[in-house]
Amino acid sequence: MRRLQPAFDGLDVVFASVHSAYAEQVPGHRFYAVRDVTRWDRIGLAILVAQLTFILMRERPRVVVTTGSAPGMIALALAKCLLRSRTMWIDSVANCEEMSLSGKRARRFCDVWLTQWPHLRRTSGPDYWGAVL
Amino acid sequence: MIFVTVGSMMAFDRLILSMDKWALEHADSDVLAQIGGGNYRPSHMRWTRMLPPSKFQEAVRNAAVMVAHAGMGSYFIAAEMRKPIVMLPRLAANREHTTDHQVHTIKWLRDRPGVYAAMSDDELEPAITRAMTGGSVASAEFARFAPEPLLRRVRQFLID
Repeated sequence: MRRLQPAFDGLDVVFASVHSAYAEQVPGHRFYAVRDVTRWDRIGLAILVAQLTFILMRERPRVVVTTGSAPGMIALALAKCLLRSRTMWIDSVANCEEMSLSGKRARRFCDVWLTQWPHLRRTSGPDYWGAVL
Repeated sequence: MIFVTVGSMMAFDRLILSMDKWALEHADSDVLAQIGGGNYRPSHMRWTRMLPPSKFQEAVRNAAVMVAHAGMGSYFIAAEMRKPIVMLPRLAANREHTTDHQVHTIKWLRDRPGVYAAMSDDELEPAITRAMTGGSVASAEFARFAPEPLLRRVRQFLID
């Protein structure tokens, strides 16, 4: 996400991350820390959903962009269902052989569903716009 | 100094255990490790759970070699700071990650300058030796941001 920073220049941007320490990387922006979860952690999931719902209802974002993984997918799904936000999933460049699990699940909540690998692009999605490196 | 990191997400005790052994066998080396949520507490190297980004960058800057999991964040910072990086992929079979994507990642990153792949614990020691003597750093002309065409399309979506 840091590598996409110029695309956000001058816009009203709110960041959410599973690491509170990352706040120092986005000075001048509102920042929220949320619970990190994997699909192995059910209780964490409930806490995360509550945190994200609070953030979304308070900030009411017009657009939501995430690079994953599970917390990003859940944020995207909530934003689409609660606020009809426009949503963009950018699958991590690390996923060079197939879309991530979270990415596959995020698909139906996405307006733009991207892979960073040209050979993973399909006419039915995901789309490919380039890579962050 | 050698800086070891498991990234910021999950424990990766196999890397930390191997590097603690390495530090014992190379007692003259200064080693600092970010161990994340790991259970194994190193006794032959300095360690911390999680460094804030500014301290993390400082540790990379001070390192001669970085030793990391095969995560993109670790590669990006090594490339930005022009350091050689040894990478050991997390394996889903060991529950070190949810999938084997780090194995896929290292397969394409390993051909890049300054990246030294260790596919197993046994390959760590020779990979570190190669990294220290290889003289190669991760991409010398590494740009800080994504290429312009991608930035433009993302921005177009944001402001539409």
